[in-house]
Amino acid sequence: MNYPGEHPIFGQLGHLFVALAFAAALLSCICYFASLKGELIGNSWARIGRIAFGIHSFAVAGIVATMFYVIYNHYFEYYYAWYHSSYTLPFRYMFACFWEGQEGSFLLWAVWHVVLSWIIIWKGGEWEAPVVGVIATVQVFLSSMLLGVYVFGYKLGSDPFIYLRNNPEMQNLPFIKMADYLTKIKDGRGLNPLLQNYWMVIHPPTLFLGFASTVVPFAFALGGLIKGKYTEWVKPAIPWAFFGVMILGTGVLMGAAWAYEALSFGGFWAWDPVENASLVPWLTFVGAAHLMLIFKHRQHSIVSTYIFTIVTFLLVLYSTFLTRSGILGSTSVHAFTDLGMSGQLIVYMAFYVLLSAYLLIKNRKKLPKTEVEEEISSREFWMFIGTLVLMISAMQITFTTSIPVFDKLGFYHITNGLGSVVNLFVGIINRLFGADIHLIAKRHNLSPPDDPKAHYNLWQLPIAVILGVLTAISQFFKYKTTDEKEWMKKISLSLLLSVLLSAFISWQLEFNRVNYFILLFTSIFTVIANFDFMVRVLKLKVGLSGASIAHIGFGMILLGILISNSKSTIISQNHSDVNLGKDFPNNENVMLIKGDTVPMKDYYISYKGRHRGTAITDEKNLYYTIEYFKRNPDTKRLDKEFELMPTVQLNQRMGNVSEPSTKRFAMKDIYTHITYADFDDVEDPTSDSIYKKPITKQMKVGDTVALVNSLLILTGIDKEVDKAAMKLNNTDLAAGAILKVIDINKHETVAVPVMVIRGNNLFSIPVTLDSLGLKLDFPKINPENGKADIVITEKRKNEFIIMKAIIFPWINLLWLGALLMILGCLVAIRKRLRTRD
Amino acid sequence: MKKTHIVAIILIAVGIGAILSTVSSSGTYSDFSVAAKNKDMDYHVNGKLDKAKDIHYNPEENANLFTFYMIDKKGVERKVLYNGSKPQDFEKSDEIVLVGHCTGKDFMAKTILLKCPSKYSNPNEDMKEFKAKG
Repeated sequence: MNYPGEHPIFGQLGHLFVALAFAAALLSCICYFASLKGELIGNSWARIGRIAFGIHSFAVAGIVATMFYVIYNHYFEYYYAWYHSSYTLPFRYMFACFWEGQEGSFLLWAVWHVVLSWIIIWKGGEWEAPVVGVIATVQVFLSSMLLGVYVFGYKLGSDPFIYLRNNPEMQNLPFIKMADYLTKIKDGRGLNPLLQNYWMVIHPPTLFLGFASTVVPFAFALGGLIKGKYTEWVKPAIPWAFFGVMILGTGVLMGAAWAYEALSFGGFWAWDPVENASLVPWLTFVGAAHLMLIFKHRQHSIVSTYIFTIVTFLLVLYSTFLTRSGILGSTSVHAFTDLGMSGQLIVYMAFYVLLSAYLLIKNRKKLPKTEVEEEISSREFWMFIGTLVLMISAMQITFTTSIPVFDKLGFYHITNGLGSVVNLFVGIINRLFGADIHLIAKRHNLSPPDDPKAHYNLWQLPIAVILGVLTAISQFFKYKTTDEKEWMKKISLSLLLSVLLSAFISWQLEFNRVNYFILLFTSIFTVIANFDFMVRVLKLKVGLSGASIAHIGFGMILLGILISNSKSTIISQNHSDVNLGKDFPNNENVMLIKGDTVPMKDYYISYKGRHRGTAITDEKNLYYTIEYFKRNPDTKRLDKEFELMPTVQLNQRMGNVSEPSTKRFAMKDIYTHITYADFDDVEDPTSDSIYKKPITKQMKVGDTVALVNSLLILTGIDKEVDKAAMKLNNTDLAAGAILKVIDINKHETVAVPVMVIRGNNLFSIPVTLDSLGLKLDFPKINPENGKADIVITEKRKNEFIIMKAIIFPWINLLWLGALLMILGCLVAIRKRLRTRD
Repeated sequence: MKKTHIVAIILIAVGIGAILSTVSSSGTYSDFSVAAKNKDMDYHVNGKLDKAKDIHYNPEENANLFTFYMIDKKGVERKVLYNGSKPQDFEKSDEIVLVGHCTGKDFMAKTILLKCPSKYSNPNEDMKEFKAKG
């Protein structure tokens, strides 16, 4: 069949580029590995490998360009363009719809690998062949994700250039089968309005660059094993490791900032599986980078360096699997849905697990052993401990996040087994000592912890304390060995200052829990000790202070997290008398009727009104104007302080979404969020009148209609209406609908609207029930079914919103700390690059 | 034995502790009758909204109480009290996952997870989460 309006050339071009990218990557890695056998300089295998990689890069660029062209021109015959873009989408979101889908985000990842590889090729030297060779194998897998071909009945990858009419979800729709189906498609489905946000433009590229950067140290490590240069790879990999730590860290924090600013999490971190999936590789990456430093200075711990570097990359693959296989389905709010690629992702993971394990085990004898033992007073000892603590942190988060995976694997058999063993002992103890310890119940499936925040905090807060102390004290140790007295002398000043300062702050903030105080002390200690090291040891030479700056940043992040979380106050308390007892202690939502002014902690707030966005791309947003006042003590008048505009997006696809609005001060943020609003009359042009649009119900005797705050029952038809009382003529035909109205308090009222036939005219006499805000009318009886038409008009309630307002004190410390951490990484990378030349 | 090894062993022990604690603190997908037997414990209960029964949210009375009836996977129905505002588009939900515990006759939900069917013909379902505590 011929389909007019299609542009088949782009699909053909796209498929060609995908096939080329796949084949060239395969050729490139084969040639690069073949080149490792002989001399590298003037090696023709290496040259072919590089040329093939060039072709691969060209092909990847070609896929991106074609896909972008298709999306940009709204060629909706392509499913990807139809699914992710639309005519009304502003240009700045074109990129966002490019990587909204799985295929596009795999492509983004592949693009970054290409860019990073060219930097390595450009630097040249002996590491090109092994490193780019390993990256090329990854590119083989990534390209295969876009193939969309069937191999022995198994679908390999998902084709981004599939026609709309060939997509399995669409192809059975009747109109799709017509030749002119394209004329029937008025617009694309479009980018999910939830994601129409500038974060969607900057966050994914950053995060994927972070993911992509984990491959470089990994490729150096594997390259070292393949080439037999078991330790030489570390030095050139160090700047890459810190680059990756910086970018991935930025990506994770951007996600947190997005969650805080635009999503309704009510905070910046929710321990959502998707957040965890990017945090965990970062933790091990930080460990790997520090181990590389230890090795560079002391030639120690090469095995751990290998393990951390490899595990980091594997964890990136694992998190890809978690977020894209659909396995998190019911546990995460924003995981990708399954595209049927989980099998492929498992193969991909298994390949690198087995390859790394094989290479490590094969070469284990050749890895240099550490002969001397580290001194307790050496820097490397404490750094090593720190990396182990990071590993525990990563393990704990991974384990809990993986509960849906364990559940799928039937892991509860094991926990039930362990439980029975424990129960055996518990039984014996109970029997022997007359104790009454509960037995562990058998379970048939596992769900994530009921209170994930509490669960993670239980483990991650002590870990944060240990890491904080380690970052504070470690730099004061020298590599190899340190004079303990001197160390004590150096550290004591910071220690003293930190104790004093944290005591002062916890008194100021009224901290009443020991664990808060401990965390407060450690984070302050981290900041002060590292600052002290920078001042007294490094003499404020910024170029050398990368580590100190990054560690100060870490301390400030901890401090910001601690204070903004523990001291956050929900100021939107409900002042009504309703008390639900201890089960429902927290009343966090407050109702605001339009025009009313309500006291809320230090403020008086008022809901002024709402309006729709005016631009065509903004029409879906309802802006609610909330004014914040303070009482002026002199004039006793309310002075307006500021205005916030939380938004509700009327989102047909995902359901309505409310977006908070935050007033930022130096010392605190005031976060305001609409938790409930009534949208029934948003579309109604008469929304200024006191009545809503009338509704007509066809009722027969005995029928019930539920209204907003009452029930309406048609109990009968009164054929003997008192005509005189209603000033009707005797010749009129009149019938009354006997309507029983039951309100919330079970109070009953009877209303009888009357239908009158006078000659050829039909009219009616409605009844108005003021106390219920109801108008009832009975205009006619339907001749075909004998049912009565009852017209119900409800009085409009005062427009109101339910909102929540939270104060987050000192949250800017978190963002400032994040900036310092990035800056510290940059300084450290610069230093490493300089000393290398 | 090196000092590092001793420390490593201690840390590994802590790691195993972390894993065991994860297992013990992991929740259980369950149903109302199981949850009713152990009223102190929190459960994840999935089910469907009973659209025929009263879905009540009256913010003028109490903006922090939302009640409805849910039928669990085994067909048992219970009234659910949720300490928060009514989630947007609640009636459209296809499947609900509650986290909370049973009281006498009711179920106190701490968290409501909604699965909403998409308006379009694709099979992916979008999840939304609502928490009682911020």
